[in-house]
Amino acid sequence: MKIIGWAKRRSAGLAGLVILGVVAGIASLPLAPYDPHARVGAPFQPPSGRHWLGTNDIGQDIFSEVVYGARTSLVTGVLSAALALALGLAVGGTAGYAGGAFDAFLMRTVDVVLAVPFLPLVIVLAAYVGPSRTNVILVFGTLGWARPARVLRSQVLVVRNLPFVEAARALGASSAHIFRRHLFPAVFPLAIAQFVNLASSAILIESSLAFLGLGDPTLKSWGTMLYYAYMRGAFLTGAWWWVVPPGALIAASVLGFALLGYTLEKDPRS
Amino acid sequence: MTTKLGQYLVAALVILTLNFLLPRLMPGSPLRFLVGEEVDLLPPEGVRALMAQYGLDRPLWEQFLKYLGQLIRGDLGHSYREGKPVAKVLGERLPWTLLLTGTALVASTALGLVLGAWAAWRHGCPFEVMTLSFFVLLAALPSFFVGMLLIAFFSVRLRWFPILGAQTSWGNFTGWAYALDVLRHLALPTITLILSTTPGVFLVARAAMLGVLGEDYIRTARSKGLRESRVLFVHALRNGLIPVATMFMIQLGLVASGATVVETVFGYPGLGRLLYEAVSRRDYPLMQGGFLLITAGVLLANLGADVLYCLLDPRVRRV
Repeated sequence: MKIIGWAKRRSAGLAGLVILGVVAGIASLPLAPYDPHARVGAPFQPPSGRHWLGTNDIGQDIFSEVVYGARTSLVTGVLSAALALALGLAVGGTAGYAGGAFDAFLMRTVDVVLAVPFLPLVIVLAAYVGPSRTNVILVFGTLGWARPARVLRSQVLVVRNLPFVEAARALGASSAHIFRRHLFPAVFPLAIAQFVNLASSAILIESSLAFLGLGDPTLKSWGTMLYYAYMRGAFLTGAWWWVVPPGALIAASVLGFALLGYTLEKDPRS
Repeated sequence: MTTKLGQYLVAALVILTLNFLLPRLMPGSPLRFLVGEEVDLLPPEGVRALMAQYGLDRPLWEQFLKYLGQLIRGDLGHSYREGKPVAKVLGERLPWTLLLTGTALVASTALGLVLGAWAAWRHGCPFEVMTLSFFVLLAALPSFFVGMLLIAFFSVRLRWFPILGAQTSWGNFTGWAYALDVLRHLALPTITLILSTTPGVFLVARAAMLGVLGEDYIRTARSKGLRESRVLFVHALRNGLIPVATMFMIQLGLVASGATVVETVFGYPGLGRLLYEAVSRRDYPLMQGGFLLITAGVLLANLGADVLYCLLDPRVRRV
């Protein structure tokens, strides 16, 4: 009975892990049969033994594109999430620990950032700094920190006033020591959950930017694949094999991260 | 309420400052962003003359005051690709966005609320499991992908709806025929936007109702022998609504973000599509104006939602 209960509680997270495992498997290098930038067949071929997912408008192998796209999307998502989390952790941690006017100021800043519609702001920033992967990561990081900052701050507020932290302070421990030994370990599980949620939204934002033509033009990504599929009217001519795989994989990785994040948030010890 | 008002003013000021500073701080001449990339081809004297004409040789604070003054007079600059004042282009696009986002906002809020409350009421039943899984999956689908699939199926295969635009070009419809034409163009973008924004409302409404349904006064209402529908819709939903009202703020941002992508997929001539066109044609004044209008709209609607929230929940008024 215990195992069934455990499985039920964790099933969403396990499903998320399995989905992410499959996507990461697709991303691994040896699977790509062709160079995704090379023209290796006739254009607009449906799936066949030679080209598992057919070819696009200029005869590139779509399966190879999908494999390289997986790498782009996962790496961009994880790096963007890491940057946003680091900023959120710094802001939320110091705000919660310092309290007072400093805390109030930072939290009002968070409110302001959250009040502005996210994607239009991302688009405008990306348009100014130009399309490259580094810029996409920087833009997401500098805008995505607000939500984790708010969540992590409230956790720091709780832990800060626990007796053992007060005891440590009374014994003369420095702020740096309290951060490292007491606050950080207490906030860590929640930070992991936030990271996973951020990765989920970063992948969605990256693909949206790429779809709007603001993705890195030198990299294959699922978003840029859909951008070209849309531009060349693949969905009008019935070339479903060009549209469905990248779309389904974006959905799968977003879902995988979201399920994992949901489970981690509910039960931070798992 | 006054602190809220101040907060929105600060947000608006931050956006204005960002809009002002970005073209001036980016590497390269700010003229590229204000006039067009053709300035790179001008001789140095020409560039200097243009700099003087746009006041770019003045100190930054003087430029900022001038920028604010122009904004107050409704002067958002000149769109060099459309060949019209930015304000005029925005005015043409705004009604379409209001039509699309307004319809989607009302529909997705109502749908998410009712289904979320129902799912909470049927906690543990197949209905809850099914709706929950459906909305979690839906939340992961990018809206442009959903839009492309809908076009492929309903427009291309079944030919029920037009592929893009907001009205038939050179259709010259009038009266009811015109209204029908507009509705047929509105259908798929609205459905796409509803599909992408309902999951958020559903999840919040369900969680809020689950909390409320466990309260003592609900058990009292039930044990009084009230009909289940009365307990759900009169007793529980009133309090369950409150977190959904706060959700409205996030929802507005989501609809504005979603509209950018959805309008692009469907070639719908609203502000979102405008933002995309301005970015892809490097028409920076137009992009800035569009972004400013979208943000101002979201902030104003947020303010309205906060006022409504005060009326809904007497506890907030005292804060």
